[in-house]
Amino acid sequence: MTSSTYDPDGGLFSYFRNLLGGREMRILILGLDGAGKTTILYKLQVGEVVTTIPTIGFNVEQVTYKNLKFQVWDLGGQTSIRPYWRCYYSNTDAIIYVVDSADKDRIGISKDELLYMLREEELQGAILVVLANKQDMDGCMSVTEVYQALGLDALKNRTFQIFKTSAKKGEGLEEAMDWLSNALTSRK
Amino acid sequence: MFTLFYGLYKYLVQKDDYCVLIVGLDNAGKTTYLESAKTKFTKNYKGMNPKQITTTVGLNIGKITVSGIQLNFWDLGGQEELQSLWDKYYAESHAIIYIVDSNDRDRIPESKETFDKMISNENLSGIPLLVLANKQDIPESMGVREVKPIFNKNAHLIGRRDCMVMPVSALTGEGIDEGINWLVDCIKRNSDVRPPRNQQETS
Repeated sequence: MTSSTYDPDGGLFSYFRNLLGGREMRILILGLDGAGKTTILYKLQVGEVVTTIPTIGFNVEQVTYKNLKFQVWDLGGQTSIRPYWRCYYSNTDAIIYVVDSADKDRIGISKDELLYMLREEELQGAILVVLANKQDMDGCMSVTEVYQALGLDALKNRTFQIFKTSAKKGEGLEEAMDWLSNALTSRK
Repeated sequence: MFTLFYGLYKYLVQKDDYCVLIVGLDNAGKTTYLESAKTKFTKNYKGMNPKQITTTVGLNIGKITVSGIQLNFWDLGGQEELQSLWDKYYAESHAIIYIVDSNDRDRIPESKETFDKMISNENLSGIPLLVLANKQDIPESMGVREVKPIFNKNAHLIGRRDCMVMPVSALTGEGIDEGINWLVDCIKRNSDVRPPRNQQETS
C-alpha cells in the first residue's frame, strides 16, 4: 500500500471532504485476543507495524482508503471483555473478523464467537470479511482449513470473503480492503 | 387460530424459495455472471463494475424473483483448494450452474474433469444442471457447438437429470435470461424430488 492513500492526520481539509464525500462507513475489527486486530488497525491507518499491548476496551481510528472513509473500531478480544462487543454492533456496515491461523487450539472458540455474533439482529446487514492472519507463521492453517474450521460452509445467507493476511508483513490487507470497499459501495 | 391464519397468510404471500449453486474453475466468470443476473432480474440494481470483481475466496449471494419463485444464488470460489468446499452446498441446492471459460482452451480438460467429479456426487443426482459456455463476447472463444460435445460425453454420469449446455456472455448479459428461464422450468418440475426451502422447514 502506498502511503498516499492514507490520511492519518485528518485536519480541516479532510473535514470538508468528509462533508462532501457522504457518510463514513463504520467497521468493527473483531476476533480473539492475540489475533492481530490492533496491528491490522494501525497497519491500515499509518501503514506501519506498531508495537501493541493487549487491548482492554477499544481503539478507534479514522482510516481513508481509496477515497472512502472508514471509522474503524478495534475491540479487545479477551474472554472477559468479548461480551461487550455487542454494545458496538448498531449501525455497523462491515465486520472484519481476524483469526490467528496458527492457533489451531482456539479456532473452535473463534468459530463459536463468530457464529454467536452473526446471529445478532443488528448485524444482519453487515458485510463479513474474514482475515486468516499470521500466514507468515510456519504450520498455519490454509484458507480452506480456516473456512471449514470456522464453519463458514454453514453460513449460506451472507456474502463473505476470506483473505490470507500477514499484518506484520502487510500482506493481503490491500486485497481485503479493495474487496470491502467495492462490496460497500456496490451494495444496495 | 392465529397459527392457522398465519399459515394461510404465509401460504398466499410467500414465494417458493430455491437455491442455485454457481460453480466452475477460477476465472470462469461466476461472480460476473451473478452480478449480471442480479442486474437483469432486479429493478434499480446497478451491479458491480466487472473490472472491480476479484477472485472469490468465500461466498457471494444473490436473490432474484422470476416467474413467481425466488432463486437464491450461491457463488463459490473456484480455485483448486476451494473446490473441496463445494460439496458442502450440494444437499441444499435445487440446481447447479456450471460455468466454463470458453476462451481458455488449455483448461477445458481440467474443467471437464472437475465437472465429472461434481456430477458424480450422489447429493446432486437428479438435480438440474445448466452448463454455460461463458465469454462468448470474445470472438476467438469456443462456440457452444464445440463445448457441448465435451460436456455431454459422460452420459452415464449425467443420467436422467435435466442437463443443458448454453452459450452466455456474463459481461454483456447475453444469454442470461434464456438460461435462467430454462433452469426455473426444470426446478419447478423437479420440486417433487427436491421441494423448495420454505416447504422443507414447515413440513
